Amino acid sequence: MLASPVRPTLAGRGWAMARTERRHLTMTQTPASQGAPAEAPVQHGPGQPLPWEPVLMAAVGRTDGHLLPDYLVRGGYKALETCTSMTPEDVIKVVTDSKLLGRGGAGFPTGVKWGGTRRNPGPRHLVVNADESEPGTFGNRYAIEADPHGLIEGMLICCYAVGIQKAYIYIRGENLAGAEKLEHAITEAYAAGYIGKAILGSDGFDVDISVTRGAGAYVCGEETALMESLEGRRAQPRIRPPFPIEVGGGLFGRPTVVNNVETLMCVPHIIRRGAEWFASIGAPACPGPKLYTISGHVNRPGVYELPMGTTLYDLIYKYAGGMQRNQKVKAVSPGALACQLLPGTDLNIQMDTATLTRPPHWHPPFGPVGFGAGGIIVYGEETDIVQVVARASGFFARESCGKCVPCREGTHWMSDVLGRIAHGHGRPSDLPLLEDITRNIGGRKTLCALGDFSVNSVASALRLFRPEFEAYVNGHAPRAHGYGSIPVAAG
Amino acid sequence: MALSQAARQRIVNEFIPRYPSKRAALMPSLWLAQDEAGWLAPEAFEEIGELLDLHATDVASVASFYVMFHRRPIGQTLIEVCENPSCYLAGSDATFQAICKRLGLHAGHDGHGMQTTADGKYSVRPTECLAACDYAPVVQVDLRFHGPVREGDVDAFLADPSRFSIEGKPSVSMVHGPQATPVEGWEANAPPPVATA
Repeated sequence: MLASPVRPTLAGRGWAMARTERRHLTMTQTPASQGAPAEAPVQHGPGQPLPWEPVLMAAVGRTDGHLLPDYLVRGGYKALETCTSMTPEDVIKVVTDSKLLGRGGAGFPTGVKWGGTRRNPGPRHLVVNADESEPGTFGNRYAIEADPHGLIEGMLICCYAVGIQKAYIYIRGENLAGAEKLEHAITEAYAAGYIGKAILGSDGFDVDISVTRGAGAYVCGEETALMESLEGRRAQPRIRPPFPIEVGGGLFGRPTVVNNVETLMCVPHIIRRGAEWFASIGAPACPGPKLYTISGHVNRPGVYELPMGTTLYDLIYKYAGGMQRNQKVKAVSPGALACQLLPGTDLNIQMDTATLTRPPHWHPPFGPVGFGAGGIIVYGEETDIVQVVARASGFFARESCGKCVPCREGTHWMSDVLGRIAHGHGRPSDLPLLEDITRNIGGRKTLCALGDFSVNSVASALRLFRPEFEAYVNGHAPRAHGYGSIPVAAG
Repeated sequence: MALSQAARQRIVNEFIPRYPSKRAALMPSLWLAQDEAGWLAPEAFEEIGELLDLHATDVASVASFYVMFHRRPIGQTLIEVCENPSCYLAGSDATFQAICKRLGLHAGHDGHGMQTTADGKYSVRPTECLAACDYAPVVQVDLRFHGPVREGDVDAFLADPSRFSIEGKPSVSMVHGPQATPVEGWEANAPPPVATA
């Protein structure tokens, strides 16, 4: 059963063309046109599904993909069945061996997190972070809408492995459609006996799953803020340690696994096809399929499931159809707005957690460029980078939760100064002032990463595109139409 | 009475047992109250507080943290236009201004506050990234995703938003199915790759 194909019934569903085209593809990790690949080429054994076969996106486009019968046809809940015949320790070992790293942005090894939580006394909790709100990231939205049962199965496997009875999905309030799909899927799974008491007939394997909707706070994507919100408080991050996996640090004070949607959706596939299969896909340091989401000045924005470590060049030109109006790439936000900008000359870079978080993609004192959750925003030549950065800093100023002073005060200062510059009222002294503010917010001075995130785009834009800022403050602004800082909260 | 009897029962029988602490039922309770009345009146804070053993100011302090909880009445239909970079690059500013103009509201960014039309039919505000950037510029109508709504589409959009609905639709990248397929002849339009510095 383990080796059964995942998509046996796709013919006749409109994907025939894709199936034909796939045969003509040759798969290497980097195209031959780019010279020697930096890492070893992808290996995949005979009989194994090819690495670009959609795994996480398999259900997209199927009319009933989100319903239980369709999920069962695709081999659904078989991985859970396999798990219940293994010991929890073995399940954790498989996940650890697969080298699955968290897909939410921090890139922590999932197996290690699970093992660490299991070593702490129960009751333990599972929290699914579905508060996808990083500007430019939208993979989870498709994954949840198309395949909610895939997420539920991943959650159940985690609950079995770690010994968890209560699991909570925290989904952002704006994604009402996703919350409805999840609620429906949970009801179906309860009725079919996949959630509830004595799951699949195994004694003592009881799990309850519920959905909690957020209400529009970006900071809830941070795990401790998310738990505060789940507990019915303002979403303000907690001091660590104790960490969420420890007693006193997690949800309701209990050891808690906090995992991203995409991370958990990988798990059933790892169990079904083995850790080796997963570890052989893409970049060896952080393998697996990845939902890259590309937006901005590309011809075909969207979500692309590709092996981890696909190059930016491939993503933009090979898959996203190149740049609009054939313009050059000016800059890229590799992990959405929270990451530092990459210059448009740096397209050979492999997009994965390991590459983007180590030198030379490390700029003191601000740290790594960052990969985030793989939301790529591409800025073409015609982009006014000052306007983009002013907008970004306005976003962080509004979304700062107000707990830590550097972030609460600094983001508003930064947004005010940038708003002034973007309106064409900047002064030459504003640029050193901005640099000073970024250094005073950034560099791990705050409880969560929002403070660091807020300076990333500003500091990197000042480093890469200083002449543009200078043109603005010297009165030669290309188009100071102004956006302004808009830090007033709606009520 | 801000909360209906049915809502009270749902809070007591469904939300409170769901969590180990009563307080945790606050978020779903606030949503329920807002869904019933359209906004959260001070009485709603008191009544929810009574059910969850919280002071009304405590409830209000949580509700005021989240921008999606409205503490004053809003229009029948809430229109939110994303203004973050991906949508900005696709022209969301023009979309926002056109919507405001068409509804007779002040056309321009004047704060993240909400504007409501005089007849109480529409409320409009800019919003943060809605996580649907491939359909930029994205507009939410009563929390339903719509896109792309460009400046020229605004009249058609206001007449019938459902034409722009993207819920349940696959990503625009998935022209050949769920799988990432290279664009035909992509090499011809791509510049030669640059070596990493």
